[in-house]
Amino acid sequence: MAKYLLKRSAQILVTLFVFLTLVFFIVNAQPGDVSNFYALNPDVPPETRERLQDLFGVNEPLWKQYLVHIRNTFTGNFGVSFSHYPRSVADVIMERLPRTVVLFMTATALSFYLGFALGKVLAWRRGGWFEYTSTVGGVTLYTVFTPWFGLMMIWLFAFKAGWLPIGKFLDPVLWREAPIDANTVFNQMILTAFVVSIVVFAVFVITGQRRMGNARITRIASIVLASLAVVGVWFSSGTAVYAWDIVRHMVLPVVTLTLISFAGTMLLTRNSMLETMREDFVMAARAKGLTERAVRDKHVARNALLPVVTSFIFSLAFAVDGGVITESIFSWPGMGQTLVSATLTEDLPLAVGAFVFVGIFVLVAHLVADILYAYLDPRIRY
Amino acid sequence: MTSDPVLVVEDLTMHYATRAGPVRAVDGVSFSVERGQSLGLVGESGCGKSSIAMTLLKLLPDNARLVSGSITLNGVDVVPLSENQMREHRWDRISMVFQAAMNSLDPVYRVGDQIIEALEAHSASAPRDAMERVRELFDLVSLDPSYIRRYPHEYSGGMRQRAIIAMALACEPDIIVADEPTTALDVIVQDHILREMQAIQRALNMSMIYISHDMAVIAEVCDVVGVMYAGKLVEFGPTAEVYARPIHPYTKALMSAFPSVRGEKHDLATLPGEPPDLLDPPSGCAFHPRCAYATDECRTSIPPTAKHGDQWATCWNPVADVDSE
Ligand SMILES: Nc1ncnc2c1ncn2[C@@H]1O[C@H](COP(=O)(O)OP(=O)(O)O)[C@@H](O)[C@H]1O
Ligand SMILES: [Mg+2]
Repeated sequence: MAKYLLKRSAQILVTLFVFLTLVFFIVNAQPGDVSNFYALNPDVPPETRERLQDLFGVNEPLWKQYLVHIRNTFTGNFGVSFSHYPRSVADVIMERLPRTVVLFMTATALSFYLGFALGKVLAWRRGGWFEYTSTVGGVTLYTVFTPWFGLMMIWLFAFKAGWLPIGKFLDPVLWREAPIDANTVFNQMILTAFVVSIVVFAVFVITGQRRMGNARITRIASIVLASLAVVGVWFSSGTAVYAWDIVRHMVLPVVTLTLISFAGTMLLTRNSMLETMREDFVMAARAKGLTERAVRDKHVARNALLPVVTSFIFSLAFAVDGGVITESIFSWPGMGQTLVSATLTEDLPLAVGAFVFVGIFVLVAHLVADILYAYLDPRIRY
Repeated sequence: MTSDPVLVVEDLTMHYATRAGPVRAVDGVSFSVERGQSLGLVGESGCGKSSIAMTLLKLLPDNARLVSGSITLNGVDVVPLSENQMREHRWDRISMVFQAAMNSLDPVYRVGDQIIEALEAHSASAPRDAMERVRELFDLVSLDPSYIRRYPHEYSGGMRQRAIIAMALACEPDIIVADEPTTALDVIVQDHILREMQAIQRALNMSMIYISHDMAVIAEVCDVVGVMYAGKLVEFGPTAEVYARPIHPYTKALMSAFPSVRGEKHDLATLPGEPPDLLDPPSGCAFHPRCAYATDECRTSIPPTAKHGDQWATCWNPVADVDSE
């Protein structure tokens, strides 16, 4: 396993290198260069233009610029953003990346959970109204034009019903007098979610290994206790109202994203289940006198899960480039919007930085997928 | 032998509903198995042997219709039982070693856990007792206890088969149905496992139904033999007698079509043709198109089941007529 991890890390470095090279040359294949942003202004005198170009290093030979680009990336120096001057690119991305990752990861996780649960039932109870409604409904949502559906959701739940905010990441009026800034609150929220999932995951693993009779109760209890602890901590710190504001802003985009994508997982799960149901060990599980539920969940669904997990991880990997469309509709200030505005304002350092971050995230997600897969399928050993 | 039947099957008929009509896979089959006895079911493939096995556990596909008959397991007719009630009988009273035994283990769980799963489905024993039982079972089928915590893919074919047998024995069932359990194995492993199964079955005084297409294997393992053709039991009797004096022409043909494991040379009189399509079996005796002794009577009317000494056969023109009643 250690050897495999080492090998894969080396592979990732090589791939990253190729990726960085590609990004560099594609950006440099464009007419003009980074300095144009300042230097093309007719008010800039020629000497200043020269000085600017020297400053940006664009008069250096290409290979030298390339080496500097590589070195800067590996030292985490992405330069300064033009459009957010004087903030550094890394700073802007560190603010935007978590917002996108949290929004899209939540939506992806929910959509897979829903899709898997529905697909499981669908494969088990073939025929009948349930299969009909969920297939037709799911596929309709899956193929619907996303901007239209997003706007309809906003119109219905935010505008007409007024239950949820219309867009954006937070409510500026509420935050005007906030003693704490939004990024700090958001990072604390991420940390909380992370700790809670680790705890709950650990409980699930432990109860799963020692087949305890009351595993279910222990699991539910752990979830309830963790939720209570979270509520307690947030309220005692007095920032709960701000966290709640962010959560409220997340609901509509998360629900919309979940609804338009769960059908893919649902149909994948259904097919994977139907294929697994033909396996001999399923008949054997029935013959052992297990309940239908045990046969379905412990044997069929558990084996049918494998291809679904692969697809899940790859969807997660693409969560970082943050659907540009979704972020625009919900005015969600994440990576998607950042990429678009960086391109529109010719903020090349920010665009390059955003690309590089997305690339790194995808590569890491692939590694996580491989490790998770090995954990789920004992036949795979590295 | 004193009569203490563990399983009595009477007039069992099971059809598969297909678009082209019913497939008569099990057609009016009756037999019984005494405690500690092993019954062999033999016949070419497609004769309905696996269908009988699955019917006994009521593990049937959606298109199967249990048309008539009774399956009395330890005095309880399981045919009218609901799925929930039947579940309690499965594995606890009647367990099975599948035809595709190689793939009967779930690849994502440890073999020991899969046996414990069966134990826990039928008794609320403490985890430690269950583990103890798994160790006993591994010992019984000569598997190394270190393999309890291994996954199926780490087992060889023979070991997997032993694990499956251990699993089938887990709840000390009254009867085990073994459907071609060794067909996928190489001859040497097959022979080992066959002998062990027989030894275990005798030692535990358990009943067994052993299904095979191979007369020689049945001769090794079984006390009684039933010969199946086109969903029907065409001959039934003590193994020694059936082998010494087959009554039905099909039994005789089957015997000469297979070489004996003991190496005695038969002239391999091949059996021409194939078993009939059960969607549309031949009129009269289903075997008549392939039978050297067929008469007009065989073509038109179904032969009655008649007693010949200790044997029963369903034939108009028995090849060896012994004090027919
Ligand atoms: N689910 C099913 N639907 C329709 N026909 C089936 C089904 N399962 C088996 N059969 C048919 O039933 C007959 C008996 O099959 P089987 O019991 O497997 O025979 P054997 O085990 O003796 O080879 C075959 O003709 C087979 O094609
Ligand atoms: Mg068969």
